[in-house]
Amino acid sequence: MLQMTDIKKIYRTELVETHALRNMTLAVDEGEFVAVTGPSGSGKTTFLNIAGLLESFEHGSFVLDGKDVSHLNDDERSVYRNRKIGFIFQSFNLIPDLNLFENVDVPLRYRRLPAGERKQRIENALETVGLASRMKHLPAQLSGGQQQRVAIARALAGEPRLLLADEPTGNLDSAMAGQVMELLESIHAGGTTIVMVTHDPDLARRAGRNIHLTDGRVSDHHVAHLQEEIPRSAQLETGSLECSATT
Amino acid sequence: MGIGPMVSSLLRNKTGPLLVALQIAVTLAIVINSLFIVLQRIEKMSRDTGIDVDNVIVANVRGFGDDFDVADSIRNDIDLLKSIPGVSAATVTNAVPLSGGGSGTGLRTVADETIDAASAGRYQWSEEGLDAFGIELSRGRNFYPEEVHYNLPTDDTPAPASVLVTQELADALFPDEDALGKAVYWGSMEQSTIVGIIGHMHGSWVGWDKLGSVVVQPGKPGRTTNTYIVRVEPGMRDGLLPVIEQQLGESNRKRVVNSVRSLEEIAARSYRRDRGMAIILGVVITLLIGLTALVIVGLSSFHVTQRTRQIGTRRALGARRRDIVKQFMLENWIVTTAGALLGTLLTVAVAYWLETSFSLPRLDWTLLPAGILTLWVLSTLAVIEPARRAASVPPAIATRSV
Amino acid sequence: MFGYNVTLAIKSMRRNPMMTALMIAAVAVGIGVSMTTLSVYYMMSGNPIPQKSEKLFAVTLDAWNPIRPFDSNKPELPPHQVTFQDADRLLALAEGKRQVAMYESSLVVEPRNEDELPFEATARVTSGDFFAMFDVPFLHGDGWDRSSDAAAEAVVVLTKQLNERLFGGKNSVGEWLTMGGSRFQITGVIDTWEPTPRFYDPINGGFQEVNEMFIPFGLTRSLELDSNGSDWGWKSEDISSFGDWLNSEAIWLQYFVELESARDRDSFVAHLDAYAEEQKKLGRFQRPLNNRLYDVMEWMDYHEVVANDSSVLLGLSFLFLVVCLLSTITLLLTKFIGKKGETSLRRALGASRRIIFRQQIVEVAVIGFSGGLIGLALAFLGLQGIQYVYQSPPGLIRLDWVIVLTAIVAAIVSSMVAGLYPAWRVCQVPPATQLKTQ
Repeated sequence: MLQMTDIKKIYRTELVETHALRNMTLAVDEGEFVAVTGPSGSGKTTFLNIAGLLESFEHGSFVLDGKDVSHLNDDERSVYRNRKIGFIFQSFNLIPDLNLFENVDVPLRYRRLPAGERKQRIENALETVGLASRMKHLPAQLSGGQQQRVAIARALAGEPRLLLADEPTGNLDSAMAGQVMELLESIHAGGTTIVMVTHDPDLARRAGRNIHLTDGRVSDHHVAHLQEEIPRSAQLETGSLECSATT
Repeated sequence: MGIGPMVSSLLRNKTGPLLVALQIAVTLAIVINSLFIVLQRIEKMSRDTGIDVDNVIVANVRGFGDDFDVADSIRNDIDLLKSIPGVSAATVTNAVPLSGGGSGTGLRTVADETIDAASAGRYQWSEEGLDAFGIELSRGRNFYPEEVHYNLPTDDTPAPASVLVTQELADALFPDEDALGKAVYWGSMEQSTIVGIIGHMHGSWVGWDKLGSVVVQPGKPGRTTNTYIVRVEPGMRDGLLPVIEQQLGESNRKRVVNSVRSLEEIAARSYRRDRGMAIILGVVITLLIGLTALVIVGLSSFHVTQRTRQIGTRRALGARRRDIVKQFMLENWIVTTAGALLGTLLTVAVAYWLETSFSLPRLDWTLLPAGILTLWVLSTLAVIEPARRAASVPPAIATRSV
Repeated sequence: MFGYNVTLAIKSMRRNPMMTALMIAAVAVGIGVSMTTLSVYYMMSGNPIPQKSEKLFAVTLDAWNPIRPFDSNKPELPPHQVTFQDADRLLALAEGKRQVAMYESSLVVEPRNEDELPFEATARVTSGDFFAMFDVPFLHGDGWDRSSDAAAEAVVVLTKQLNERLFGGKNSVGEWLTMGGSRFQITGVIDTWEPTPRFYDPINGGFQEVNEMFIPFGLTRSLELDSNGSDWGWKSEDISSFGDWLNSEAIWLQYFVELESARDRDSFVAHLDAYAEEQKKLGRFQRPLNNRLYDVMEWMDYHEVVANDSSVLLGLSFLFLVVCLLSTITLLLTKFIGKKGETSLRRALGASRRIIFRQQIVEVAVIGFSGGLIGLALAFLGLQGIQYVYQSPPGLIRLDWVIVLTAIVAAIVSSMVAGLYPAWRVCQVPPATQLKTQ
């Protein structure tokens, strides 16, 4: 699904060069749920930005879903991002003056789908996150947890192959965080590959594999031990967590 | 925060402030040049005419039919007009000053056609003319009644012996001598004598540079169309306009009353282009200043909203309310001053264009500092409210996460 | 996608209603003011008879004072009007396809019954070619031919308005009118005809109303018609009768000729020169040979029909439009900067730079279009205002479709130009950086 080889990213200002990623090599298989952890400044966000085709990189190669995306131009990257990737952000990033339906509609619009199909997808996605009844509401009328669920619906509506989540529960209290995590786990169970950046070890442990970054490199990774972790919600399927990790 | 960091902050985010400065500059250029034109037109319109414009009525009549006797008609009309209560004087005239229509002539001090003549507006009216217009004679005498004759197109009357001239014409004819009692020559080389000097009066064409140059002959010009000048007691004009129209109309059915209007209305019509220009430019100036002020208010408000966090942080770090107000004011002042400097150049450029392309008079430079000061005060007023709002941002906002 | 862009634009405009209102107001005021002045300028500088303006020529002859030129500021030019004797003789020579000699006069229209009152009406005294030469449309009947001019027949052509006043608009051809003591038979009624500027007589006002009726030039002598217009003289002549006046050197008539080709023009100038040479032998035309033809637009230039004030206003109002556009650019820029977060998000969700750019431009076009419409309404009000302060004839200055179209296009194009830089700036927002914190 995702194959990064020897990727470098350097941020330059007039005075300093910051090596955000140094020779990053990493692979994520189809259907995996990977958590990326690491201290602040370790390159987590840069990794996510590059994985999501939001930023370019200096060196190395990047194959996403079987296609080499190292040399795509802005338009091609935008189209590929729109088709393959769903994003979930720490601060939800909903557009405040669009209602839930319109917010979920945003990525679909850029795909130029016919109106009927867009409507179907949006309704399904909002159904999945349990907010179908509130599709005319504005984001400000929802709680934080609900807003993040809308953001997840937005990511899902595009039927992405890869879901990138950046501290998805960072702005939520623990009850809401739990709900959101359960939702992600059920999406993963449906077959979507998920890469989640987090600094919360408890969340990371719920993923199938942990990748630890230090100083812009993968310093450690291990497969989560299912036996040690009991999901908080019993009714969730956990079978998908069994798939193995490859390096 | 001092000027140094402020300037560097403005420079870092340069396009916005640059655009505002540019807008202020163009605004200044338009406002100064327009204001100059407006002031000039106002000055032109408010010149002393030397005539009692407010209390003069002008009536225009026309006879028709074979049995129409012009002299008879004029005599009866003047008698009728003077019998109306409130009318103090009346005359027939060949033309109406300030009206845009009239007769022009050239006078010489010697009977030699090859030398240049002094141009002047030419009028012909009776011994009551000065009273009817409310024109003051500064020296010499008015016409004697016996000098005033009917002047009909069929008569071949020689130029009358006595004339009045304005001081301006007298000075043009006899720059070094007293004109009173001197002889002047018409284009036909007929001779007349200056018997009186009018201190000041305007002729017919308000845009002419020799507007104040006037010569008056005694006479009662009778044409197909005749014009009467009627002076009324102060305050009675508007009431008498319909009375005069009605009485003239009824007194003689062989005569059409074309119009009875106040001289004020006639003069206003002559100045309508100037008045129009002044009004339009006045509107433009108002709109322009309003727009620029609103843009400054809008931008400052927006910046306050955008920078709420930054302001909170500054406050948390110890900035006082007035430091914040000062920061916004200072930023605005820097931009306004930059705009004013650029605007000075632009003003000069526009003034040069107007002067060379349309031969408008040279700009009065004293308007420039006044304009800059006005813009400066306005932009300060425009930024006060947003700056105060900025100052009321609580320092605690800095620690709030979203 | 366009529909979606428009929806987004409106959403975005509603997010900062103050700012949006200010932008629309800026565009509207700019368009309103510049279209008002443009309408006036356009009206003044328009070609009043585009279909044949290059075939119609004003004739000027230099029979002026041998000692000094007519206009000391432009000593090379002959006087702008002609004497009656020259007009009369040139008319008789009938060189050229058509020619008219004319001036404005006025007559008292006498009542036809007890209830009516006499009134004065303005008349254009002209030769019969006038109507065909200037493409005057007729409602009823026709003009008169050259023989009526020569025979000084008392016939008259009325304007639609005067026919309305006298005959309630019915076909009055064949009816009789008593004017200035003579009986005139009506031969025709013209339809609305308001060439603007009034090219055939700019000397006595380029924007006056058309005269109320037309009568044959041949009547001048028999009815002793006076000119309402300006007359100029240089020679002291004994004028004790109307005949003396007509034989004088005073200039007070306009003379026009219609010529088909450049060759005709040359031969007509030669004809004028030959006429002048002949007159020189009689002691007239003592100045150097200087006879000139001006086609309609040259004639408008000569008389500076476009008032300086109008050009100054046009210039200043376009500077004003520049200020309005600068306002719009500044406001847009500020606004787009405020939208960085959303833009960044949309980029992350798959919008390319091109899509974002297009989105901004659509938003700007919506603002421009709204501003343009309001600006048109303002221009309409502005023209009413101008009509009022200048006391110009009603309907003289109007918003015609050219101006309406110009206004809308100018509003959209200029606001799009204003939006280019801000839109470009907003496209530079990277898709990621703004997402961490909001």
